[in-house]
Amino acid sequence: MSALPWLVALWLFAIGFYGMMTSRHYVHLIGCLSVMQSGTYVLLLAAGFRWGAGPPIFSDHPPGTPAVDPVVQALVLTDIVVGAAVTALLLALALQLHKRRGTLDPEELKPMRR
Amino acid sequence: MSSALPPLAAAGPILVAAILLALGHHLPRRSADIVAVLTALAVVGLGVLMATRTGNGALLHWFGGWSPRDGLPIGIAFQADLAGSAMVALVGLLFAASFVFAWGFFEEVGVQFHVLMLVFMAAMCGFCLTRDLFNLFVWFEVMSVAAFALTAYRLEASALEGALNFTVTNSLGSLMMLAGIGLLYARLGRLDMLALGEEAARAAGDPVIPGAFCLLAAALLIKGATVPFHLWLADAHAVAPSPVSMVFSGAMVAMGVFGLARLTWTIFAPVAEVTAALHAVILWLGAAAAVLGGMLCLGQRHVKRMLAFSTVSHTGILLMGVALLSAEGLAGTLAYLVGHGLVKGALFALAGVLMARLGGIDEIGLRGRGREIWPAGLAFAAGGLLLAGLPVGLMEEGTKLLDAAAGSEPYPWVILAVPIGAGLTGAAVLRATGRIFLGWGEVKGEEEHAPSEDEAEKANRPLPLMLAPVVAMLLLAALLPAHLAAEVAQHAATGMMQPGITPASVSGGEVPQHLPLGLLGLGLALLIAGWHLGRSRLPTLLSEGVEAVSAPVFAGLERLHSGLIGDELAWILAGLALLSLGIWFA
Repeated sequence: MSALPWLVALWLFAIGFYGMMTSRHYVHLIGCLSVMQSGTYVLLLAAGFRWGAGPPIFSDHPPGTPAVDPVVQALVLTDIVVGAAVTALLLALALQLHKRRGTLDPEELKPMRR
Repeated sequence: MSSALPPLAAAGPILVAAILLALGHHLPRRSADIVAVLTALAVVGLGVLMATRTGNGALLHWFGGWSPRDGLPIGIAFQADLAGSAMVALVGLLFAASFVFAWGFFEEVGVQFHVLMLVFMAAMCGFCLTRDLFNLFVWFEVMSVAAFALTAYRLEASALEGALNFTVTNSLGSLMMLAGIGLLYARLGRLDMLALGEEAARAAGDPVIPGAFCLLAAALLIKGATVPFHLWLADAHAVAPSPVSMVFSGAMVAMGVFGLARLTWTIFAPVAEVTAALHAVILWLGAAAAVLGGMLCLGQRHVKRMLAFSTVSHTGILLMGVALLSAEGLAGTLAYLVGHGLVKGALFALAGVLMARLGGIDEIGLRGRGREIWPAGLAFAAGGLLLAGLPVGLMEEGTKLLDAAAGSEPYPWVILAVPIGAGLTGAAVLRATGRIFLGWGEVKGEEEHAPSEDEAEKANRPLPLMLAPVVAMLLLAALLPAHLAAEVAQHAATGMMQPGITPASVSGGEVPQHLPLGLLGLGLALLIAGWHLGRSRLPTLLSEGVEAVSAPVFAGLERLHSGLIGDELAWILAGLALLSLGIWFA
């Protein structure tokens, strides 16, 4: 297994985190969160990958032939579903916030709190 | 012992939620309230039933009959031990109280509130009972999504912003958790937690496993709102509707600590680097959270924010018990967790009473206006005294166990964080009681700093109905026989520690010695509350002298809680770095 997918996962995680920390717009921030999430998916898929192995579907080749790990793929699929729900909810919240305050910059939203 | 009971705790509420959602528009008014209360009570019953049946070992259920083949777990299991069952009962109780308290509160949204709350409850039950690591993550996510939606229910600017920050920080936690699970699975090839523990013991020295622990612990500490991961909490808990805040502070935050205890004792106990890091970093983070949370709590005048910071403080105390890595410490945490959940649930309900009856939540703005609802004042004072460490009931028993566990520490005085945290939070609640219900503690020229937004909640419920769940929770927390509580907590703790997995030794302390904590917390609380309420009558030199020293400290602490999402994330990163450093040097 090469180190490349792990480095990609780490890079996506780091750049997403940086983007979120410095973000001046909530929609941009939510996008950065999705980038980080993709990093996790790369990490999971890399964990289950095997060179020379086929997809874990045994309809056209006999059971027992090498296949990549289907468990991590199931994990990724599950999280994509949850991630989509969370992103949708976040965007809906951001939209409502924009309707009420007219801005989505965290710095500008600050003064009215407390 | 195989049993069909554990899945019911998660599946039952979800099924009821689905039926409610489908039939919602055709049901008569109030029927959703009744169904929800009954479901929550059924979950309490189920939790108690499971707890009584765990005498001969935990109740186990393999979904779909996929039991292990040749010792290799291939399915997903629910396993109800005494601790998990007790947590289920606590969750059910808090939700039942919340549903009674919220009777008719959410009329205009129909059944949606009940559906979300029932799913929320099911997720917590599943979280406490599951034995599969990925399944744990799924329940964690379901819990989070339900919580996000419930926080933003009011759709006002402050609620929306609190909910956004809550969602972003907690989603970040979720994906750290998923990454941690991925790393563990990559190295150990299992997802069943007991099997993971066995594999982890075999894979000693693998550096990836402590790394995975870092990510998992960070995720759970974000949920558990430990310093420095806690910045989302005050905003989210303060803006959520009161019935939801009850559950947030009473149960959801505790889930973070419970999850960490579960993972520690099933998977990571044999990994020396992890136990050393828990002991070196998380114990002190817990102590810091207890003290800082208490100070922040004392600095608030928005009663719900005050209670939210008190939750930070008490979660720190809970975390210390986990990080002490002993049966007594864990037992202390479990007893304290249940006691704190009940008391904090009651206090948030009382904050809801203030918002409904008096139309405000600002301690100074409401000064003296609580006289008409004096029974709520009595309950508020009782809650404050219990938080501070009144020597009765569950929290007191938990404190004693924690104190005993810390006796064998190299630094036994770390346990002083418990009475200090408890004293500071108790003082804040007692001060609020004195101001709001007795009119003491006049503050001149402070009214204009009052929170601007309208903070009233619907006042469509009779006072006795709102106070009934409060009284029930406080009585339960205070009057449960101490020896019984201690015994059950110790059984629960030893049940959580898997046989055959012994923690790597952490301390060389031989002579256990208790620090006599006694009434330290209570005394501190009464002293500070008295100081704040009677300050105007003291000599000016004394009161202003103390003010000059303490004011900059409190102002600085408050300034750190800017509520900016960027700052919150930076602190999370700092916490993650701290955990990694702890593992690096351990």
